[in-house]
Amino acid sequence: MGGLHIFGLSHSYGSHKVLDNVGLMIPAGELVCMLGPSGCGKSTLLRLAGGLEKVQDGTVVINGVTVGDSKIHLNPEHRHIGLMFQDYALFPHLNIIENVTFGLFGMTSVKAHARAMQMLDQVSMTSHKDKYPHMLSGGQQQRVALARALAPEPKLLLLDEPFSGLDTNMRQKIREETLNVLKQSGVATLMVTHDPEEAMFMADRIKVMGSNGRILQAGRPHEIYYHPRHELVAKLFGMMNMFKGVVADGRVETPLGSVATDLDDGEQAQVLVRPEGVIIEANGNGRGSLVEVTSSHLLGHDNIVRVRLNKGEGDELYVRVHHTFEVELKKNLTVRIDPEYAFVFPFEEELKLTKMDKPELNEAQVSAAAAE
Amino acid sequence: MTAAQATGNRVIGAMKVSLSWLNGWTIGTVFISMLALMPIAAVIFLSFTPTDDIWSHLTETVLPLYVSTTLMLMVGVGFGTLIIGVGTAWLVSMFRFPGKRIFEWALILPMAMPAYVIAYLYTDVLEYAGPVQGLLRDLFGWTTKRDYWFPEIRSLGGAISMMTLVLYPYVYLLSRAAFMEQSICVVDASRALGRGPYQSFFLVSFPLARPAIIIGVSLVLMETLNDFGTVDFFAVSTFTLGIYDVWLNMNNIAGAAQLATVLLIFVMVLVFAERYARRKKRYYHTTTTYKALPKYLLEGKMKAVAFVACALPIIFGFLFPAGILVGYSFIHYETAMNAEFLGNALNSFILSSVAAVLAVAIGVFMAYGVRLRNERLLKIMARLASLGYAVPGSVLAVGVMVTLGAIDNGIDGFMLDSFGISTGLLFSGTIAAVTFGYLVRFLALSFGSVEASLEKVTPHMDGASRSLGHGAFSTLRKVHLPLIRGSILTASMLVFVDCMKELPLTVILRPFNFNTLATFVHQYASDEQLGEASLAALSIVGFGILPVIVLSLAITKSRPGSRLGEQV
Repeated sequence: MGGLHIFGLSHSYGSHKVLDNVGLMIPAGELVCMLGPSGCGKSTLLRLAGGLEKVQDGTVVINGVTVGDSKIHLNPEHRHIGLMFQDYALFPHLNIIENVTFGLFGMTSVKAHARAMQMLDQVSMTSHKDKYPHMLSGGQQQRVALARALAPEPKLLLLDEPFSGLDTNMRQKIREETLNVLKQSGVATLMVTHDPEEAMFMADRIKVMGSNGRILQAGRPHEIYYHPRHELVAKLFGMMNMFKGVVADGRVETPLGSVATDLDDGEQAQVLVRPEGVIIEANGNGRGSLVEVTSSHLLGHDNIVRVRLNKGEGDELYVRVHHTFEVELKKNLTVRIDPEYAFVFPFEEELKLTKMDKPELNEAQVSAAAAE
Repeated sequence: MTAAQATGNRVIGAMKVSLSWLNGWTIGTVFISMLALMPIAAVIFLSFTPTDDIWSHLTETVLPLYVSTTLMLMVGVGFGTLIIGVGTAWLVSMFRFPGKRIFEWALILPMAMPAYVIAYLYTDVLEYAGPVQGLLRDLFGWTTKRDYWFPEIRSLGGAISMMTLVLYPYVYLLSRAAFMEQSICVVDASRALGRGPYQSFFLVSFPLARPAIIIGVSLVLMETLNDFGTVDFFAVSTFTLGIYDVWLNMNNIAGAAQLATVLLIFVMVLVFAERYARRKKRYYHTTTTYKALPKYLLEGKMKAVAFVACALPIIFGFLFPAGILVGYSFIHYETAMNAEFLGNALNSFILSSVAAVLAVAIGVFMAYGVRLRNERLLKIMARLASLGYAVPGSVLAVGVMVTLGAIDNGIDGFMLDSFGISTGLLFSGTIAAVTFGYLVRFLALSFGSVEASLEKVTPHMDGASRSLGHGAFSTLRKVHLPLIRGSILTASMLVFVDCMKELPLTVILRPFNFNTLATFVHQYASDEQLGEASLAALSIVGFGILPVIVLSLAITKSRPGSRLGEQV
């Protein structure tokens, strides 16, 4: 069995538990993303997989060999892994080709050079081979780091926030390139990030981690987005509209209509609705609730609109609408819920305190979003 | 054997190797730390051994004198260096006046002068038979000592002056760095609130620089306690001199150890003050954006005052004594340039080189070991091992003597019991003892420099290298050493130069009839034969210039916000 297997991994720093019975399996060729807030144990998981830290409890198996448990510790240099950091960690005293050949030993230098050039070719960096890291842009450094990590043909590639050092425009391009290179190499990849969009884009599967060190949900990106099984998972992707209610006849009533749920009748529940899950209509022939627009911000391909229920008397809602929809001109606007974007969870007060919880949308966030 | 088994065996083999390597770093670090701590421990242990009731004898006779003299010396040198160091640092970092750019680096020149060397020089110039008093007598027609008053250079005041003149650069460097780190914004804010430049200095700049100044003064006072040459020559009864006296003249090693332990209490206070200030320093940064300090242009009389204030310490701390030294070397070249001088120079050179190389190698080993293991125990051990820098050379000498004596006796006893061979004294009174002393005293210098520059290498470099298949040692060799090469060179140079200058340890621990340049200068100068020793003294100053040049270059290149002076 190839790739990475992790069983029952737990880890603490003093009394602070950062990993709690975490399991993971990444077959060769697959990319799994650990998604979680900063400070949760996701980076620790990566360090444990890479052998940068010793396992306290649990087992790490790479390519069928147990490389770490409470007794065994195989140093990173014996694990056949690739490791890539946010700051790329290129060796500043070595030029690009020397950086890439750094992990290629036990072969003739001619062979090592050929292999390095092949890798640099894959990331389109051959023309820079004699330059030094400081002469390259962030994106170029990232490519070299990828080439260097993949050159020795590792069984497992570990990526620690690999794109967060890049600016927004560059990031998208480099992500696509990286994904291509990874798919070609067929290496098992574990990536750690706090950026949900990045995880959605890169991962075959996502594992969402809470600040308590537990896996909250695992699944394909589609599942994570459309079928969050945890309040915090639902809130990962930003602004949410929330309604409180009590379950009755398998449904929860909201001002925008009722939503079906599996929760027991009589239970306190909260309904979370994504801004794109609020359908806003002009002349909605009486189906939804009447609202009044309080503000509207064009973000690019869509608008984020704030509306107030009950003709401007009630709660405020956040609605994402296509940019062609010119709210200001519309009268008699109504809103209703698209059930696909509405999620019902039990209402628990203490969960509000966890780090994963994004605060309810406020003025500053809307203007920040508008500014982007 | 199946492929899987083969893989398994290979893996287990690799694992064993890697584990033993890690243990090697740990065991090595702990072992070195223990070795470095032994002399200090030995001194303390020995002082608790009751001997002939020397303690009450000491308390009745010399102890009060040692305590009061040492305290007065510390207070004098502390205030002297504080005023000169902070004052000149403030002038060059806040104002524009003629010569400022030269003063900025020239003010550290006196660092190259060992206190004992300028003590000999000034004595030669200022004593009764010297040219200054001679000139005064000629001018005013005085004939005897009773006709006029002239300050006695060979006194406590003289010792304070000598040490102040060569030690103020520590305070200057650290406070200048602190002033440069202060954003002009805070000074501007103070000016905008209606305070003038002088008020702003006392209300804002000085309080903000306080932790750095405390560090500087603590270092100065550690050097003051360490001094042997000056106080010996001036016959100022400090602890350091007392230890030497009780040990070598009264032949009472336990008494020496007891005095040394009292001195260690002084040292501890300084170490704590220094550590405390270093911790506090972090909180004194009010802003993260630095703007070059716009220099206030000084006009008229103030311009001259600033110029003189900066020029005097350089003239008296370096130019004048160095000039005299060069002059003497020319005059006495024939007598000074002989086989003895060359032999001593060679001794100094070899001894200092060996100590520098060893100190840096050990420093690298320990700093990397601490980095690899990142364990509390190792960090504490390494810290303790670098305590030696604060311990005066005379105290360390006692400790080294005792430690090596015990080791020698142990080996001798063991060999005698097992093989019937007496090995006698293997280490005591040898060059190995001197080298050991140097290492204990200067390990902090190399360890500190290496550790500081290793800290600047991100741990991701380790991760990248290790994941690419390189082990701990290979990573050190291929990644870290090339990256920290500069500071390794600096560290070796610092240790080398400090060993060249070192006097108290060398005097006490050296083998019979073995001289270094420093002990040679001490011996001849004490006999008022400065001419013969001038070339040797000049050589010491010449080597001492090396780190000063490096620091000067760093100063001329440094910008506001850089952390120059931290490594002092």
